[in-house]
Amino acid sequence: MVEFNDVSVTYSSGVDALNHVSLKINDGDFAFVVGSSGAGKSTLIKLILKEIDATEGTVTVNGFNLSKLKRRKIPNLRRTLGIVFQDFRLIPTMTVYENVAFVLRVIDAPKKYIKSRVPYVISLVGLAHKAKAYPEQLSGGEQQRVALARALVNDPQLIIADEPTGNIDPALSYEIVELLKGINECGTTILMVTHEHDIVRHFGGRIININAGSIAFDETIGGANEA
Amino acid sequence: MKLSSVNYLVGKGIKSVWKNKMMSFASFCIMLVSLLMVGLSVLASININKIISGIEGKNEVIVVIKDGLTDEAVTSLETNIKDINNVDTVSFYSKEEAWESMIKNMSQAEKDLFQYTDGDNPLPDTYKVSVKDIEKMAETTNRMSTLEGVESVKASSEFADVLISIRNIFSVIAIAVVIALIIVCLVIISNTTRTSVFSRRKEINIMKYVGATNKFIKIPFQIEGTIIGLLAAVAAFILTMFVYRGVFNLFQGNYQLWSILGINSLYSFKSIFLPVAVAYLVAGAVIGAIGTTISTSKYVKV
Ligand SMILES: Nc1ncnc2c1ncn2[C@@H]1O[C@H](COP(=O)(O)OP(=O)(O)OP(=O)(O)O)[C@@H](O)[C@H]1O
Ligand SMILES: [Mg+2]
Repeated sequence: MVEFNDVSVTYSSGVDALNHVSLKINDGDFAFVVGSSGAGKSTLIKLILKEIDATEGTVTVNGFNLSKLKRRKIPNLRRTLGIVFQDFRLIPTMTVYENVAFVLRVIDAPKKYIKSRVPYVISLVGLAHKAKAYPEQLSGGEQQRVALARALVNDPQLIIADEPTGNIDPALSYEIVELLKGINECGTTILMVTHEHDIVRHFGGRIININAGSIAFDETIGGANEA
Repeated sequence: MKLSSVNYLVGKGIKSVWKNKMMSFASFCIMLVSLLMVGLSVLASININKIISGIEGKNEVIVVIKDGLTDEAVTSLETNIKDINNVDTVSFYSKEEAWESMIKNMSQAEKDLFQYTDGDNPLPDTYKVSVKDIEKMAETTNRMSTLEGVESVKASSEFADVLISIRNIFSVIAIAVVIALIIVCLVIISNTTRTSVFSRRKEINIMKYVGATNKFIKIPFQIEGTIIGLLAAVAAFILTMFVYRGVFNLFQGNYQLWSILGINSLYSFKSIFLPVAVAYLVAGAVIGAIGTTISTSKYVKV
């Protein structure tokens, strides 16, 4: 669960990136965050990850009050989250398998668990046959699916995706969002930032529109392909 | 932390040493030179100390008797020496005795060489004088050198004084070198860490996002520094062994040196093997680990 309570962010440069934003994303929700460039979408994400702190107001994520969370406790917060970036951020010297297994290793997961969990999530994103490939041998869409598997592997409560389809072909973008939808149906909360109105219209759901640091619109709309 | 994680972290550290071969090698060389300079200075100091304490323990003065003195003159000289307050015992050591003991301690090759000079003994007759109070050594030797029939007076404590000042110079240099080299080591390790942090920045970035603890992120770098430190320590130890043995043999082969200082005036490498090895390994590991701990906090902003 994510809750923003009258949150403002002013960067040290003096830019007011967010102004008195309040919003609540419940467990199991799927929400799109849209808005023009510079509106404050990434700032919102950075707050959830506690990369930055709110200048005003309180942010609560999965039961952590972020303004009270000590720096050395940040790993505990992040272990409840899965993150997908626009630029994939895979490690080029590691295979698909290693890129995913890496996440569990660095949080000190048992070896046995890693051995069963990693192939499972790789097959969930449909890349079982590419487990031994290196990122450069994959298409953009495939790389993003690896990133998705990586975000999924520690069984997070919330997956945050900042323009996950920004660097891949529109046709493949739908696949990624389909995958996210599937993950959401299994109970994981999803927050996805996107520029692509087609995708939003196609899938529908909760839309949070940010404009110049404020929430301009926050409603649930029906998608074109509503089940 | 789990065993598999420990393996993982150590593996990362080792890989990192290899991946940044150039920087690792540079750190290795600097650490090696530093360890060697400090190690050899310390070894030189402890050996000089041993020589000094050996000499200081001897409250003995050698009075060299003028060549060609009559027997009466030699006997009256003995009485005159005994009359000096601080003198304890006086014993005559003839040139023949001196010659024999010298020949006895020689190697066969040296003996053969000395055969030619047989019959023409270049050594003088001497009195070995022991004093009661070493503190008054200088005064006593002065008195003796003014006596009739005395060629010269040799107190080994004079040599000890020279050695003490050499050792003091050594100590000052060693401390200055230690400080300078520790700084150099830290700087170079810091650069190595920066290079490896840079080459792994993507990984570190992802590690932060997925909730790796700071400790987990930093440990491979510290292991990297420690490994380099340990490698430098091993190399320093091996080089020290060769240098030390070389100097030791040179010393043992030099009759004049050990006849003054005594045959056991240096530590054999065997007797100092263990402490030297342990000191090098501990110093290498500690400098490596501390250096990288300082620099990882600087470069791994978590
Ligand atoms: N680290 C920073 N320091 C200062 N100003 C910043 C920083 N990051 C973002 N900003 C400013 O804050 C505002 C919001 O930026 P943000 O990155 O949240 O926008 P965005 O909605 O994600 O845009 P985009 O769609 O282009 O990614 C912008 O005006 C931006 O210039
Ligand atoms: Mg952005």
